[in-house]
Amino acid sequence: MAKTAERFAFATFDVLQSERIAGPRYSYWKSVFQTFFKRKTAIFWLALLLSLTLMSFIQPLISGYDPAVAPNINTPSTWYQKPSAEHWFGTDDRGNDLWDVVWSGTRMSLSIAFIAAAINIGAGILVGAVWGYSKRLDPILLAVYNVVSNVPYILRSMMLMYIFGRGFWQMILAMTITGWLSIAFFIRTQVMIIRDREYNLASRCLGTPLKRMVTRNILPYMVSVIATLIYQEIPGLINTETILSYLGIGLPSTYPSLGRMIDVYWSFVDTYPHMIVFPGVVMGLVTISFYVVGQLFADASDPRTHR
Amino acid sequence: MSDVLLSVKNLEVTFKNGKENFTAVRKVNFDVHEGESFALVGESGSGKTTIGRTIIRINPATKGEIFFAGQKISGIIDRELDTYVIRNIQMIFQDPMASLNERATIDYIVSEGLYNFGLFKDENERREKVFKALNDVGLLEEHAERYPHEFSGGQRQRICIARVLAMEPKFIIADEPISALDVSIRAQVLNLLHDLKNKRGLSYLFIAHDLTVVRYFADRIGVIHQGELKELATAEELFARPLHPYTRSLLSAVPMPDPDVEKHKSLLIYDPSVHEYAQEGPSWREVFPGHFVLANSKEEVEYRAAFTTNSPSRR
Ligand SMILES: Nc1ncnc2c1ncn2[C@@H]1O[C@H](COP(=O)(O)OP(=O)(O)O)[C@@H](O)[C@H]1O
Ligand SMILES: [Mg+2]
Repeated sequence: MAKTAERFAFATFDVLQSERIAGPRYSYWKSVFQTFFKRKTAIFWLALLLSLTLMSFIQPLISGYDPAVAPNINTPSTWYQKPSAEHWFGTDDRGNDLWDVVWSGTRMSLSIAFIAAAINIGAGILVGAVWGYSKRLDPILLAVYNVVSNVPYILRSMMLMYIFGRGFWQMILAMTITGWLSIAFFIRTQVMIIRDREYNLASRCLGTPLKRMVTRNILPYMVSVIATLIYQEIPGLINTETILSYLGIGLPSTYPSLGRMIDVYWSFVDTYPHMIVFPGVVMGLVTISFYVVGQLFADASDPRTHR
Repeated sequence: MSDVLLSVKNLEVTFKNGKENFTAVRKVNFDVHEGESFALVGESGSGKTTIGRTIIRINPATKGEIFFAGQKISGIIDRELDTYVIRNIQMIFQDPMASLNERATIDYIVSEGLYNFGLFKDENERREKVFKALNDVGLLEEHAERYPHEFSGGQRQRICIARVLAMEPKFIIADEPISALDVSIRAQVLNLLHDLKNKRGLSYLFIAHDLTVVRYFADRIGVIHQGELKELATAEELFARPLHPYTRSLLSAVPMPDPDVEKHKSLLIYDPSVHEYAQEGPSWREVFPGHFVLANSKEEVEYRAAFTTNSPSRR
């Protein structure tokens, strides 16, 4: 008997030991980036997007291209050149190097899209967050939204451009005066879905003020929704710029932009197609890379995809 | 009996969906005494959650009044009273998977209420309060840095309890706190709530959908059906002398530890048409001391007769 007692002892059961969590600590943002960069396609399209953006913001500084100045306008031999070692994208109807024109045009289009998207998304999120919470504001904003959204966005921008006249800031104004509204409506609906979930009721029962409710409870849940907004908004605005400029009510002729290029070069589409192909390809690549990167990032920012 | 802490008087809650109105709670009356566990039991959709949410002011009361520690807390109240209510009445929700902010650490979740009312002098004191609340529910200090999705259902419900405890409330509404948990950990959470009540002198409104859970936990039980209280008595009394046919049907669903009883037991199904309310409608009557039932005078006589002549052994 004594021997067994020596050899066998009762194991102590430590209740707290069973509460220990093995495994590394979780961090939301770290997991977002890990999930994102695990994909080779994500890295490829992000690299492409960054190169295109950097290129269009740096190259024009070097080339010093200015659409108001056409140094070769009196040298017809420099016009309409096909792509060559000297002019990678060829030259246009005034002897401008298309490589230079494309990058300064992309820079202009991206600048407009970035500024207008920042305003639309910023205002849309702010108004939408309050809209989703306020029972008093809801019917008023809903009425405004219903009236405004009856007119397609592109028609609204066109009307506004007619009123404001052509120009950089005029265009941003035309894009943003009503542009935030549909984003605010979208955010409002998202907030309403999240608002009455139990964890928010719990916060209400703890007396959490509205401001912290929005910053700690609502917005962190909307990272992927906001990412989705951004990747849809920027290419959308690039398109709007193109359409407005193509219609001749966008930017004035002294501004280079993707829309301006398509407007001017479209008349040569049969004879000198390279003049329309290069701006078109660059624009396509910019748009697609925004979509792909944005979509993959939105996926990665949904915690259900983590691990 | 000790002082009344919470008093619900003639409560009615109506939801408006466009033109349609739906009255989820009708003419509900009950008191919760200091240090008491009062249970509300009824099937799903009977209005239990609505009552809990109305007390804690998530839903407005359409009619009737609610008093807490002698003050009227329903309707429009001033800021000071609102703060008092929030600090003293807290709620544990049914689904621990849904009631934690997934994007916040346990540290933030447990101290959320402390932040809201500045209930600490410095960071050290806040951390101490968080650790104490976690320890009180059997969790570890190192859990503070983790996120909710790293925890099991039972652990998450204990985090919810810790967050409530950090506020040091007088009164806790526990809305089916164990029904979403695995059977194996239900007793653990129930015992925890029971111990906390004794240690801290808490009072509970405990909501459940069957009588099994509340039998040993609750001091008094109110039985609710389709938004109306049907019967109210101490737990012992209710099990010994169930009067209302709905209570008897709930009781018939409680499993008995005696195989002979269990074998011969038949499930009763409550059929509201057994009541003959055409001539005389029901009212809230005290049939035995402290034992109330919704009945008309004919039923009252029958109910009383059923348990005064025979011993309360048949079920
Ligand atoms: N916000 C609401 N709007 C409309 N009806 C509701 C709302 N909340 C609850 N109800 C209805 O009220 C009734 C009671 O619900 P509830 O209190 O959740 O019941 P229980 O908690 O007893 O299961 C149900 O029929 C439910 O559909
Ligand atoms: Mg419920």
